[in-house]
Amino acid sequence: MTATLTAPAVAPPSAAGPRRRRRTLSPTLLAFVLVPLLVETLWVFWPALQGVYLSFTSWDGVSPAVMVGFGNYAELFSDPTFGRAFLDTVLWLVLFGGLSALGGLGMALLLLKDRRGVGFYRAALFTPVVFSLVATALIWQAIYQPDGLVNTILGALGLDSWQHSWLSDANTALYAVIVPALWRQIGYIMVLYLAGLKGIDPTLYEAATVDGASRWQQFTKITLPQLSSVNSVVLSVIIIDSLRSFDVVWALTRGGPYHSSELLSTYMYSTAFQSLRLGYASALAVVIFVLAFGVILTYLVRAFRDADA
Amino acid sequence: MTTARFSRRNFLAGLGAVGAATALGGCVTSTGSSAGGGSATGPVTVQSNLSAPSAKAAMQALIDAFNKKGGSQASLNTVASETFRTQLPTYLTSSNPPDVMTWYAGSVARSYADKGLLLDVSDVWNGATGYSDALKQLSTDSGKQIFVPTSYYFWGLFYRKSNFAKWGVQEPTSWADFLQVCETIKSKGVTPIGLGADNSTPWVASGWFDYLNIRINGANYHRELLAGKHSFADPQVHKVFDQWKTALPHFDPKGTALSFQDATTNLLQGRTGMMLIGTFLLDTTPKEDVDDIGFFRFPVVDPSVPLAEEAPTDGFFASSHTKRTQQTLDFLKYLTTVEAQEAYLKSSSGSSLPANPAAKDAGTALITKGKEMLNKAADLTQFFNRDSSDALQPTADAALIRFIQHPEQIDSILTDWQTAAKKVWNS
Repeated sequence: MTATLTAPAVAPPSAAGPRRRRRTLSPTLLAFVLVPLLVETLWVFWPALQGVYLSFTSWDGVSPAVMVGFGNYAELFSDPTFGRAFLDTVLWLVLFGGLSALGGLGMALLLLKDRRGVGFYRAALFTPVVFSLVATALIWQAIYQPDGLVNTILGALGLDSWQHSWLSDANTALYAVIVPALWRQIGYIMVLYLAGLKGIDPTLYEAATVDGASRWQQFTKITLPQLSSVNSVVLSVIIIDSLRSFDVVWALTRGGPYHSSELLSTYMYSTAFQSLRLGYASALAVVIFVLAFGVILTYLVRAFRDADA
Repeated sequence: MTTARFSRRNFLAGLGAVGAATALGGCVTSTGSSAGGGSATGPVTVQSNLSAPSAKAAMQALIDAFNKKGGSQASLNTVASETFRTQLPTYLTSSNPPDVMTWYAGSVARSYADKGLLLDVSDVWNGATGYSDALKQLSTDSGKQIFVPTSYYFWGLFYRKSNFAKWGVQEPTSWADFLQVCETIKSKGVTPIGLGADNSTPWVASGWFDYLNIRINGANYHRELLAGKHSFADPQVHKVFDQWKTALPHFDPKGTALSFQDATTNLLQGRTGMMLIGTFLLDTTPKEDVDDIGFFRFPVVDPSVPLAEEAPTDGFFASSHTKRTQQTLDFLKYLTTVEAQEAYLKSSSGSSLPANPAAKDAGTALITKGKEMLNKAADLTQFFNRDSSDALQPTADAALIRFIQHPEQIDSILTDWQTAAKKVWNS
């Protein structure tokens, strides 16, 4: 899906402009445009369109596909698991997205000033980003085990009644999965904000200090407005990452127990490759695509409008 | 506004592409009936999901032995079992498929045969001697054989003999005895029944459902239920769960948070008393502990129901698209021989029984006892996914794990299960 999402950015408005040239294009230039377009068509647009086509069929991967019109989409509305996965995805977006933005900003502010050892902390926070999410999940799986770190610590603190089978309890599974995802995402968002914060002109703060502005006023009146361009990047990164979150959930709970930590992405995968209902799974994929694409489109429109202004 | 023009142009181009896609869309779902590349010469390609190191080595040894005979040749390609499972439909429908594939006997193989994807291997069966009628029946679809079984194993309640002796309990035969044994083990401060049904191996919980259902409603009802001829919301199915409820307090409360490997460790270290599992448990048991492992038959619930047992059968089938029919049949014939099956068992962990009755098994007390149990059985079932389909298994996983955690919700669990199963049967 990543590739699909980046697709709109591929065709840059390079040739179009007020100065129209009559000169014919050089073959090299043409090749630079056509070859990537061909590759993109073959590996991105074509499979994506096949997916849309499949979403109108009923197909088990073996027999010929049968056209069912909008049957798969109609089924979505009466499917309680889809409802659950949709709500979980929204919850994921709010918790994972919101907390990683707040956490990332907080960490960036904390680690902005060059003090002794600050590089170490920045590196430490960024390290989880380097790990593959599946490896991250393996570490957290051990931590969440019934005899794992979390329960051992709770036991040592005398909180035995809080001990839990975190990943196999339907009430805690989704939240237990969000934590490792956050653990990784905060470092990433922090780096984005750090870059933004470094770009703010320090004289603004000097002037504010001279005017007697408090720390809080400096933060709300200077830092936040100055970060607005970074904020829109962070927002789109968060939304896209939320919608395509799959690996960490699949590795930790596979959407279970009994669909309690199901996201749209995991439900799509299990419908396609475990239940072999590829038509219905394609309809789910289309829903995810529309959601992601809608977000990107609004972002792009806004970004272009800002650039024109 | 250059951007606006561009997005409109993209949109129009996209619209055209959508039209083209619907016209050509058939490509993606076509079932590859046209003859592709692939030649009639070259070795028979064997696609195997036996990726455990000992099993993989045993397969390689088998292929080497076949190649040494100097006739047809074969080559092995081992794939991780999870990948294999998801890719199997693709293998079977491709125009240049692997010739021979490992898989399971029963409905799961028949469903592929019904779609015309499996090679008729009646020829192999005609040459094979001594195979039981039950195995032949299991490998038959609409009058012809489509599967070649090579080994099978059994399920039972496994325990440590030394622990049972220490606690002073005997193997129970009836359900009442079984609950009594659980009470005694509990009084010694040990969890009576272990379970390893976390998200990585949720299917082990199906063993309990299968056995309770064939003990209460019989093997025929069980198979019909899995084929969609009855509803999971039927009162008969309800009875199964009422029975299960009586044993549920003795289950390890962490059972749905542990993998079956962790649950095995708990059993071996005496933290749990017994566990319903297949003989593959021995594959992960340390050598020095194997002799201390015993098992007993799943207790009788209703004495009037004939005793059926779970005996999952493993083996091979071949693609109907193969270009090397004769060589493929040669290889499958070799797999049915005493020589091949003994060689395989010797190099693997020896926890299964050879399908050819003339071949010698591992001969341990446990294996001999299991073989006797199966020989006396009135009927044999395979396992939940093998008696239904791999697609139905996740619906059972969701329902059973929910039941183990929230037995009080059984009514809504069963109606939800039926709804989910119906979608699989109808698709």
